[in-house]
Amino acid sequence: MSDLILPTQIDLLHVSAVILLIATFGIVVRRGFSDWLHAYRYQTIILAGVVTLIAFVTSIWELYIVSALTLGIKAIIIPKVLFYVTKKLDSPIKLEMNPYVSLRISVIASALLVAMSYFMALQLPISSDKTISVFLPVSFSLFFIGLFIIISRRKALNQIVGLLTIENGLFLFAVVVTHGFSLIIEIGLMADILVGVIISSILLFRMSHTFDSVDIKNLESLRDD
Amino acid sequence: MIQGLFLLSSILEKKSISIFDGLFYLDSLSAIMIITISLVGFISSLYSVNYMGRQYDKLIVDRQKLVRYYQGFNMFLFTMLLVPISNNLGIMWIAIEATTLVSVLLIMLYTKQGSIEASWKYLLIATVGLSLALFGIILFYYANSVYDNSFNSIHGMDWTNMVKNAPQFDPNLVKFAFIFILVGFGTKAGLAPMHTWLPDAHSEAPSPISALLSGVLLNCAFYGLLRFHIISSYSIGPEFSNMLLIILGIISLGIAAASIYFQKDVKRMLAFSSVEHMGIISVSMGFGVFLGIYGAILHMINHAVVKSLLFFSSGSISQKYQTKSIADTSGIIKTMPITGFMFLIGGLAIIGMPPFNIFMSEFLMLSSGFSSENFLASGLVILFLVIIFASFGKHLLHMVFGNPKYEMEKGDLGKLSILPMIILVSVIFIMGIYVPEPLQTLIEDASKIILVGGANS
Repeated sequence: MSDLILPTQIDLLHVSAVILLIATFGIVVRRGFSDWLHAYRYQTIILAGVVTLIAFVTSIWELYIVSALTLGIKAIIIPKVLFYVTKKLDSPIKLEMNPYVSLRISVIASALLVAMSYFMALQLPISSDKTISVFLPVSFSLFFIGLFIIISRRKALNQIVGLLTIENGLFLFAVVVTHGFSLIIEIGLMADILVGVIISSILLFRMSHTFDSVDIKNLESLRDD
Repeated sequence: MIQGLFLLSSILEKKSISIFDGLFYLDSLSAIMIITISLVGFISSLYSVNYMGRQYDKLIVDRQKLVRYYQGFNMFLFTMLLVPISNNLGIMWIAIEATTLVSVLLIMLYTKQGSIEASWKYLLIATVGLSLALFGIILFYYANSVYDNSFNSIHGMDWTNMVKNAPQFDPNLVKFAFIFILVGFGTKAGLAPMHTWLPDAHSEAPSPISALLSGVLLNCAFYGLLRFHIISSYSIGPEFSNMLLIILGIISLGIAAASIYFQKDVKRMLAFSSVEHMGIISVSMGFGVFLGIYGAILHMINHAVVKSLLFFSSGSISQKYQTKSIADTSGIIKTMPITGFMFLIGGLAIIGMPPFNIFMSEFLMLSSGFSSENFLASGLVILFLVIIFASFGKHLLHMVFGNPKYEMEKGDLGKLSILPMIILVSVIFIMGIYVPEPLQTLIEDASKIILVGGANS
């Protein structure tokens, strides 16, 4: 099918890949809870767009449904749930005050991770066509930056956003490399993610109720001395 | 439970079942998982009645939470049963992730600070680990889709389909993917150094849930790992994955040995002992000879039974003593004779004393290790087992036979707390002396399924 790709489409691919990366960096550089959620939402909307694009190029009708599901569940419902949680949290300060790794260094680290992803994508023995060569490194970057967010931040909500970013990266990877799983698995994955977000929101409530904050420095009492 | 037995008999006849257009697939390996899950699930539901009843009386949980506990309990069993019956590896992943989510709900049943911390760590670490596994699964799926005509159809991710195409996979891709799978499912199976969530989650959960987590959930994750071990053995030969399994297993044993020695909390000690036993299973699988794999599968069952016995008895003990600290719990045999006796048997069995079942599978593992000429690995295993034997034994004897610190009312905690333990003890004794015929056939068949990859290459 790759011969059907027109130059304009390739440009579209590039542009969407760049916007995807920018949205991901938005999570890294901002401090506010709601900023992350906005960034995540943009990221997911673009992701859904990319999936539609791939569906158009490969003309696999299932991918249209998948992209609609992505838009519905991940871009609308999940941010709604998390916005609701942020609004209801007891703690007055809804900012990431001092993460384990400062924001400036985070940006540099994320940039290095992106570079590493491009390097890794070259090493992988995966046959390359236009879509793959554009999006494979981007999906790796999402994955690694998500991991980085989880380990470098102190607020529990940010860790959820990191998890969701990892998940987005995997989703993009699956769609690009294998043109998506079959529909039943996609639906199962979405259900898992949705339930996971709801459970972690309950946990966030409990946390802010018990510790008066969602800072994970409170969560260091269980250890072996 | 009864349905489990029914299914079991049909598997003995046909060797494998495939229903719903190949969406679900059962063979002897899954049958063993199902029988373990249903046995431990049944017994721990028996035990729950007494345990949660007491927590309710002590006003630790209210009625609403009790209802939520039983709902969660059954959901948890359901998701775990979904793991071994799904043929589609994507569905298997979804089921394993679902077990995480449901068990997080069960762990955070008590709104203590500890359980919130434990469930948060568990949720994050397990989910990140599993997302690595998903990455590996996608790579395997990709490797399969290159050679498969049924590309992008539902069968592209079927295990049976992948095994069929496995010899044609790109070896580098398979190696790369298997490492991700190993780290991912290894996290969930509690293999060190990805085990850090395990002691917290197991010690903070209600005791019947700890039994389920430790006895069968770890097995479920390991089962997922095994399925990919088989595929990669078909594809690149078993040496690569065997080596990785042995290394991870030995690290787990070492970390568990050190942690058990310095442990102060009963349930954490038991949790680390789970890490140890998952390590044993992994090493035993890694030896890659028939006897070792047989021993590993036997060990999965034995460990599930013994560990649930220990969690039940320690649950009763900590309810009686109102503490989980090893130092404060002493003289169990004087205050609660029957439970103390059960705890003693469980403890002796778990450190591998001869008349009990764990000894048998550990012995099988070691002899297979020497027969496959893995002397260094076997030597290290023996060393760590001796350390664990000594330190666990020391804690155990102190807890069972020491003098009670303060006067306490004598007596056990009701019939319903004793009955499940008696069932488990009798299973331990029987399995220690001989393995029943049908089970033996099942384990042999399952070992052959795992071993075939080695025989072909």
